[in-house]
Amino acid sequence: MSAITGMKKSSKSVVYTIEECASCGLKTKRDFQSGDYVYKEGGGCTKCKGKTMINMIYSEKVEK
Amino acid sequence: MLESLQIPGLGDSSLLGLLIFWIPFIIIMLYGQRIQMYISLGEISRSLNKLKLMKEKSREEVIDFVSKISQSKENLSEKIDQFLEYFTIQPVNLDPAGIVKKIEHIVNVKDDRMRAEIKQLVSSATDVQTSNIENVIEVASALNYYYKAVRHFYLLGKKTMSYIWIVQLQMILPTILEESNALMKAISAFKQSQPIGDGIGAMVVGKMMIGKEKKTVAKETAMSESEYKGRGLYLIKAEGPGGNVGQPGNAIARMIDEMGIKIDVIIMIDAALKLEGEKTGEIAEGVGAAIGGIGVERFKIEEVASKYNIPLYAIVIKQSIIDAVSAMKKEIAETTDKVIEIVKRAVEEKAKEGDKVAVVGVGNSVGISQ
Ligand SMILES: [Zn+2]
Repeated sequence: MSAITGMKKSSKSVVYTIEECASCGLKTKRDFQSGDYVYKEGGGCTKCKGKTMINMIYSEKVEK
Repeated sequence: MLESLQIPGLGDSSLLGLLIFWIPFIIIMLYGQRIQMYISLGEISRSLNKLKLMKEKSREEVIDFVSKISQSKENLSEKIDQFLEYFTIQPVNLDPAGIVKKIEHIVNVKDDRMRAEIKQLVSSATDVQTSNIENVIEVASALNYYYKAVRHFYLLGKKTMSYIWIVQLQMILPTILEESNALMKAISAFKQSQPIGDGIGAMVVGKMMIGKEKKTVAKETAMSESEYKGRGLYLIKAEGPGGNVGQPGNAIARMIDEMGIKIDVIIMIDAALKLEGEKTGEIAEGVGAAIGGIGVERFKIEEVASKYNIPLYAIVIKQSIIDAVSAMKKEIAETTDKVIEIVKRAVEEKAKEGDKVAVVGVGNSVGISQ
């Protein structure tokens, strides 16, 4: 039983925001911030200064 | 050898044999069911405590969420308790003809009243925040109801010592607990306005709507016109990024009846419950109206489709009930582009050039704009 509960504690879900640049296709993954939503325009691209857009927000299990 | 195999108490009439074999045997014979019931009641009572904790936690979460937006704590908890006890009386179904209209009316009244009261309570809330508060309250009141219903049957079982109540309750409790856990996760997603698994349909169509002009065609429902290989596309989804489900049924009915758009094919995209053993994020295609909820929207779409003889195609993304109401999983989010390709292929296959296709992204639009 403790093995099961112990396992549950070690894997936690984290929500990430994925931004994608419309011109060069660069994808950046960062932690979700309040105010983010899917298809919201993001800041400038770090590589080509093009416009970015949030195209995914998802939760992923991380082992700790 | 034989001696030791003998049932104690039969061969010899010692008091010890009588005690260690016959007395427990008689007790189990006579009171076995009763003992089993006490064990069951104990198990139910532990689950009930879990439900109570969840119910209380969800209530606190709602109060915390609302007070953060409103910045005043004045009789907030009192008002929220009132919200949690809100009930809706379903229309009588003795004469079921036309009942969908009545259900729709009652649901609309409930929604409008809820929204008005939330606005009154938190006048500074934006539309997105109001939707999210409404969603969070709905989830918390579901948890509140689960707790009270389970407690009702638990107390009833305890009072009557009726095997039927107790065993039935014990059988459905694991499902109730699982759903309650899912609902707890839903609260945290709605509070932070994160997309939930159920929103995958809205996410697919939202992506197709980027950069297109949006019109409001029904309550909280957005529509954009687009084109693919000579076929006209009418993209429909609930308005995001607030937590809305919109009225896709009304939208399609209005487009055909009032706006005079002759739809030839309807394609619906929605999340669907997977069976145990199926993979999360599996895509399946079929026919029919892919839309959940109370049934009003589905009825309307089916009505319109059969009236004008419009074929209905469905694309679903499989997930569990927990996936559907908690923050969208990676496996689900990553199906977006694949589903868009399937939609395009379906448009090409099912519609001829010059045809008009309604593409409906069904689901809660929390955290998903268009
Ligand atoms: Zn770039």
